[in-house]
Amino acid sequence: MTAQVVGPTTQGAPPPTSTGRPAPAGRMRGAVLDQSRGGMWAWLAQRVTAVVLIVGLLTHLVATHVFNLGHLSFLNISDRLGSTFFVVIDVSLLAAAIFHGLNGARMIVLDYWLKTRGSRLALTIGLWVLGSVTFVYGLWALWPWIAR
Amino acid sequence: MSPVDAAATNVGAGNWRGLGMWAWLLFRIAGIVLVVYLFAHIGVISSARWSGHSTLNGAFTLFDHPLFVLLDLLLVWAVLFHALNGVRILLMDFGLGIHRHKAVFWGCMAIAVLTLGLFAFKAFSYIAAHHTGGLGGLV
Repeated sequence: MTAQVVGPTTQGAPPPTSTGRPAPAGRMRGAVLDQSRGGMWAWLAQRVTAVVLIVGLLTHLVATHVFNLGHLSFLNISDRLGSTFFVVIDVSLLAAAIFHGLNGARMIVLDYWLKTRGSRLALTIGLWVLGSVTFVYGLWALWPWIAR
Repeated sequence: MSPVDAAATNVGAGNWRGLGMWAWLLFRIAGIVLVVYLFAHIGVISSARWSGHSTLNGAFTLFDHPLFVLLDLLLVWAVLFHALNGVRILLMDFGLGIHRHKAVFWGCMAIAVLTLGLFAFKAFSYIAAHHTGGLGGLV
């Protein structure tokens, strides 16, 4: 479908890019992509992990806060993680939630701060390190239940 | 700028006022709350690894207190608001509902409230059954 113009912002000069430099003339599409700030793959992964989280978190929350409210304990978790189904749910939740949460935080930071390419890259690398360490730590925490 | 580029620049621009803005702001606030909770959650669950089963079981006993059950309910609301507004954003990515985003927003919120009702029913019946002081057990 041909998109309609729905707002007044088409007038005037192209918006500046995230680096503060004006968008190159005749390259609006690039400028629009640059304004998304986070990059295409992060954008796509944010949506893929969103779907994983909607399905996984609903399962996780119903299992813990509806069916096991008041019964949660080390052994109660053992019962659940004795099934491959919940191991898959919990480990994929761990990975998806860490990515989705840290990338969301990254998008907020990039909206307001870090205007240079180098500092943005440093943030991205730093968050990947933090996320990887957190995932390994979370897996280590779950391991006594998984490896029984 | 070609008309196509102009249109692409402007997708969703009309939503940046009123309801759309508040949805965006609360979406971000809920997102920040959930990231903080995620790390706290991983920390609590990993306590079993540092200091044994009894530490984790002690944490769960604390979380069974009515105050924490109600806080959990707030957390479930943050999840549901963020998730259902996220569904609205996904629909917009597919070009659906951009011009009726308010109706889509309230439809998503209706689903969120109904789901919260399920969790609230469970939480309040749990508090009523296990804390004879009822909500008085809060303090």
